[in-house]
Amino acid sequence: MKDLPQTVFVVDDDDAVRDSLRLLLKSAGLACEVAGSAPEFLAAYDPAHPGCLVLDVRMPGMSGLELQQELNLRGATIPVIFITGHGDIPMAVEAMQHGAFDFLQKPFRDQELLDRVQRALARDAEYRTRLRHTDRIRERLATLSPREREVLDLVTQGKANKMVAGDLGVSQRTVEIHRAHVMQKMEAGSLAELVRMMMAVAPRP
Amino acid sequence: MAGPDEIDGGAANGGGTRRARTVIVAGQSSNRTREVLRALRGFHSVIWPKSLEAALEWTGTADVACLVIADDLREEPVDEFLREARELHRNLPIFVITDPDDVAEAVSAMRHGATAVIEIPPSYAALREEVARALQ
Repeated sequence: MKDLPQTVFVVDDDDAVRDSLRLLLKSAGLACEVAGSAPEFLAAYDPAHPGCLVLDVRMPGMSGLELQQELNLRGATIPVIFITGHGDIPMAVEAMQHGAFDFLQKPFRDQELLDRVQRALARDAEYRTRLRHTDRIRERLATLSPREREVLDLVTQGKANKMVAGDLGVSQRTVEIHRAHVMQKMEAGSLAELVRMMMAVAPRP
Repeated sequence: MAGPDEIDGGAANGGGTRRARTVIVAGQSSNRTREVLRALRGFHSVIWPKSLEAALEWTGTADVACLVIADDLREEPVDEFLREARELHRNLPIFVITDPDDVAEAVSAMRHGATAVIEIPPSYAALREEVARALQ
């Protein structure tokens, strides 16, 4: 599948702001798509599309903060940069508490916005790379047999083959064979690498 | 651990004990810090450590309910102090006090790990509510 290009999505009800942001972003060599309202954006938004969102706080109908909450409900991870001409501290705090990447008050310098957009794109790229990495680990985990999975869990807890054999009621030789299969299927070069893989896919507290 | 200035360690809020949960206030000696300390009168145990190092050490003690960064800190920028406190204590509620309408400072504090930012004046009530929630 061909990778989608990183895109800066702009949602603002003001035509002039949308046009000037589109020009600014294009002049910086960034792909840009604009929408005049939150529903228009939601109708076209594909979470698989990498990028970031530049979002006006105050819009008629669904506000920017409401759009952010809707995206959160949908599990979207796109970094959101809020822009507003009428920002106050409670509004900024609410946006940041809900996971906004940044909150910028108008008027701002072009470079200020571009710097933040670049940082947001970098974070999105980093997140997607991490996600691909954990997806690959999960795919490999799915190829293990139930017994191999048991061996994996025990050896990554730090247990020696002899202890694993005792826990599972099998011979040490059998554990060694299962362990070799686990290393091969997981494409791990060492036990340390295997442990790192399991930590990467472990649920966070 | 350096000795803190405990300004309200008594039973002013319902006859508690010395092991009541503690609110740490960090900030240089300034009118704003004193205002914040006054606003928190009535809470069981509010301490104002004499140094950042002491404040960070106190955040690691078991009975600490929250940290309030009341004002600039002479030894270190607030954001840096916040980052350190957050690294050490992932779940500790940390409230930052800012001047009214300083949105940029508020956003920066949130990015560095503040739980909430409260502008003072006018909102001592908001601060007391946040601290009361943290104490629960």
